[in-house]
Amino acid sequence: MSSLIRLSNISKSFGGALALDAVSLELKPGSVHALMGENGAGKSTLMKILAGVYQPDGGGIFRNGHSISFVNPKEALEFGISTVFQELTLLPNLTIAENMFLGREPRSTLFSIDRRRMNTDAKDALNELGLDLDPETLVSELSIAERQFVEIAHGIKADASILVLDEPTAALNAADVEILNTHIRRLRDAGKAIVYISHRMDEIFRICDTVTVLKDGKLVGTRPMSVMNPSSLVSMMVGRELQDLFPVRSKAFGDVLLEVRHFKIGAGTKPFSLNMRSGEIIALAGLEGQGQQRFLRSLIGQFQPFNGAVTIKGKPLPLPVSSASGIRQLRSMGVGFVPEDRKEEGLFLGLSIADNIAIGLHAACSEISLAENHRQRIEKAMASLNVKAANARVIVSSLSGGNQQKVLIGRYLAEKVDILLVEEPTRGVDIGAKAEIYKLLRNFATSGGAVVVLSRETVELIGLCDRIYVFHADTIVSEMSADTVSEQNILNAALNAEAAIERE
Amino acid sequence: MTTAAMFNGSVQRIQRTPPAYFVFVGLLIVLWLSRPNMLNINIIGIFMRQNAPLGVLVLGQLLVMRVKSIDLSGGGVILLINYFISSGLFPEASLTFFAVLGLTTSTLIGLFNGLMIGKRRVSAVIVTLAVSIILVGLVQFLSSGKPPGDVPTYFNDLYNTKLWVMPSPVVFWIALSLILAGILSSTVFGRFVASVGESGAASHFAGVPVERTIILAHTLAGFITGLAALVQTASIAVGSVRVGLDLPILSVAATILGGVVFGRGEGGVWGPFFGVLSFTFLFVVMTAFGISDPGKLIAQGLIILLAAIFYGVRAAKSD
Amino acid sequence: MKQDFTNLLTGRQSRQGLWFAPLLVAIAIAAYLALSAPHFVGSENLLNLVAQAMPLTITAIGQMFVVVVGGLDLSVGSLISFTTAILALDGPGYLLIPAVLAFAVLVGLINGLAVTRLNVHPIIATLAMQYIVLGVTRTLRPVAGGTVPPVVLKAVNGFVFGVPMPVFWGLLVLLVGWMLLHGSRFGLHLFAVGGGIASGNEQAARNFGIAHKRITLLAYVASACFAALAGVYLAGRIASGDPNVGLGFELDAITAVAIGGTQLSGGIGSLQGTIIGALVLAMLSNGMNLTNVSPFLQTAIKGSILLMVVGLQKRKLIGL
Repeated sequence: MSSLIRLSNISKSFGGALALDAVSLELKPGSVHALMGENGAGKSTLMKILAGVYQPDGGGIFRNGHSISFVNPKEALEFGISTVFQELTLLPNLTIAENMFLGREPRSTLFSIDRRRMNTDAKDALNELGLDLDPETLVSELSIAERQFVEIAHGIKADASILVLDEPTAALNAADVEILNTHIRRLRDAGKAIVYISHRMDEIFRICDTVTVLKDGKLVGTRPMSVMNPSSLVSMMVGRELQDLFPVRSKAFGDVLLEVRHFKIGAGTKPFSLNMRSGEIIALAGLEGQGQQRFLRSLIGQFQPFNGAVTIKGKPLPLPVSSASGIRQLRSMGVGFVPEDRKEEGLFLGLSIADNIAIGLHAACSEISLAENHRQRIEKAMASLNVKAANARVIVSSLSGGNQQKVLIGRYLAEKVDILLVEEPTRGVDIGAKAEIYKLLRNFATSGGAVVVLSRETVELIGLCDRIYVFHADTIVSEMSADTVSEQNILNAALNAEAAIERE
Repeated sequence: MTTAAMFNGSVQRIQRTPPAYFVFVGLLIVLWLSRPNMLNINIIGIFMRQNAPLGVLVLGQLLVMRVKSIDLSGGGVILLINYFISSGLFPEASLTFFAVLGLTTSTLIGLFNGLMIGKRRVSAVIVTLAVSIILVGLVQFLSSGKPPGDVPTYFNDLYNTKLWVMPSPVVFWIALSLILAGILSSTVFGRFVASVGESGAASHFAGVPVERTIILAHTLAGFITGLAALVQTASIAVGSVRVGLDLPILSVAATILGGVVFGRGEGGVWGPFFGVLSFTFLFVVMTAFGISDPGKLIAQGLIILLAAIFYGVRAAKSD
Repeated sequence: MKQDFTNLLTGRQSRQGLWFAPLLVAIAIAAYLALSAPHFVGSENLLNLVAQAMPLTITAIGQMFVVVVGGLDLSVGSLISFTTAILALDGPGYLLIPAVLAFAVLVGLINGLAVTRLNVHPIIATLAMQYIVLGVTRTLRPVAGGTVPPVVLKAVNGFVFGVPMPVFWGLLVLLVGWMLLHGSRFGLHLFAVGGGIASGNEQAARNFGIAHKRITLLAYVASACFAALAGVYLAGRIASGDPNVGLGFELDAITAVAIGGTQLSGGIGSLQGTIIGALVLAMLSNGMNLTNVSPFLQTAIKGSILLMVVGLQKRKLIGL
């Protein structure tokens, strides 16, 4: 059977880091093709190349033996590839019909739009999906589930031969998922190819017939679903060498510094609890978007949870936390928050190392006080961080990723907090710097502090942390001790594979 | 270091120097070539004194532009304070009284701007322009009943004194610049301003009180505008209904020319200082060559546009 | 039905923004003026009102194009003055009118290119252009004067079948504005670009293949052209060129746009709202004139209205 489209040896780098390394994928007509891999495996990049958002650095896309290329999703659509992104791309201030036809509006005269036809066609497309929505509704008025369905209807309407669905059921309830599955099967029977990206094991096994697994940007393999089961799938996704990067874990723990009870992220999610003692480094693990970041950012007020009780060093933290003053409030309670995006949220790229480290110390002072030089503290910090730079006056944008990350963490270490909440401590950081950062965090914990680490790198979590909480569907599904756990265990829990296996 | 590296280093240093310095030197040369007799210390002192109100106003403008905001309300504030002083509302009042009245008013207006911009998040241009229009309208309405009166003589007397060879308004301007430079470099507030200008998001995550910093910047700018208003009033003998209205946009131009553009503080305090000097000499040169007043407007606009393009293109390249 | 009415009052469920409430305000003001101000309801005053509201309405509609894509055009006031100066150059209409258009397009292109290609903030770019154009205008025509081509005078002050010309101007502007903003693909793309900007994702419209830089550029050109049209109209009314006639139009236009429910953050707005906003401002001016309020106080009041209306709109960005 000939393939509808073939991606051949696709490579893509971002700023020197290889996101995809010669990945090949073939999509056959009449198939539902799952694309799986951990966070950062490259699924999203591969999908965006197929969607036309990115251009590959190496390799190419072929249809019927001809090489094709496109520079935006609209052009991709002309080649028959329709993508429904996870980050919804509908324009909120346009109606359903306008969104569906934007860029290819039906015209009644040279300049004006044939609105009646647009609305009728949109209504037909919605009806095909069993959606009873008025095509003239503004997208901003729709619920997330409705928006997702509209995005899917858009793709179906465009008469694409390939439909890429990225986490399509993230906001759908069971009944809606069934409706979606019916349509997917119908499209498959009509000879289309559907790429299905999801972390939900039971869905994958129910609807897909082929699966491609990516790991660390490389292709692990493509198999028919009939020969797979959840554990074999998981073992394809993991299996790395545990490198000798990590300092020895601690055995002595002190008082409880952070306690979270009965925390519900949303109204309908399951409540969870966790705690952390001094000397501990705990991990919040799980696949992307399962609630771990929302939980962490609730503590600084960037997200408003449903309810929960949080105690820091014995003092309660009233929820919801104000988003304007949350960080300062936490700081006064001895908690430092290190954001994951050091370029946009963390560092002052145009300022010096000294300014970047000292700003945390300044932030605790009143405006009219004289700004202390803090020279000694900065020198001490640079030495203990082992930041490779001529002196503290070097501008941070010229440092490597690893050194930048060290400077960022250095700011919070200099502030003498007791608890560190760190998002992605070693993202975009080379091996050598990774080891140094792990050592820093472990030393911090050993001297009486405690660290909450949010990371998508399971190897890192196992090596660095003492205990691991695994998040799935906005709640904690598993708590594990790091010295007895394997990557497989964590990913199993993250995928809720146990539940899928039980159901078979 | 090799010669090539040194050359590259110098080129980069030149690229990072605010245009104001080059423009100033260039204008000095033009003046020296065409009207060398104008280049004596007394005449220059007079030109500088004429622009001292602008110089003071620029100090406030650079402060708010460093936190990515702008203040166009200076025109209205200056007019209002001038009105207080020259309208005869407070006969027999002392210098201290007028100073307190003027500074309190301008600081409160600055606070209002700061709250609207920092808390309500209204566009800075619209707020400050609207405030200026309201004040100008009010003053013109109130003074249309009676013609503007005289400015008390002690103002003029103060204006005409000299400290050694420099006119006191110029000394005052320089002293204020030194104070602001000191505040920006040695206080925690100065650090907050630098960080908010560099990145609002990073400042927030570092624990810097972003909103409060912006409100304070505007309030302080209001205070400084009051000082500029006092200097401006001292420079005229009779009250006026149009004094100072062109200063705010000039202050934006001088500040941008001096290297302070939307958060970037490369120019510090002295870049905009030389920006004011550049405009001082630009107008002198233009008058010497017989270029009309509208020509000055065009020059202002062109300088703002070209400087903004220069920085806009550079920012895009470094992304 | 009740839901529809509430939606109209709060501007929900519509990309057209909150225009119904301002309409009620406009009717209330009209009613108040009809009852309390002498001569308001007279046909002479009403015609006067329409004629006076026309330049502001035209400018505001042009401003709306730019506001919908999240920008502002502060150069329109000077452009209006400049247009009257050109028309008063004592030349033939068939030369001067195209010249006016050409200059408008030029100004719009400079504004648009600075914003879209050179990374300049729209407020800074248009503020700078305001001064450049003002300087050029004052050089060209330092004091009011000159003669305007008769064709312009007739087009503004004449009658067709007994109906005064301003009515036709109004209809023309309404038609063109409606077609461009709400009927055409250009208008839809304009709102799409604005919707992306307003929701924080500037590139959102690009995913649909929309040339968002070109659309933004055209918005600035449109604003300049509408301003020039307003200038032509004004030149016909005052029968001369005046370097100060356009002063303050930019802020009045922004006020009118904001009153009419168009969001300054982009993506939401309606033509009828902008027209209502312009009418509200015109009625206020008219009413204040009839009740002998000083013109200085009038500007102060208009400034306060702008402050109030803008203070009510929500924004994520702090600063400029």
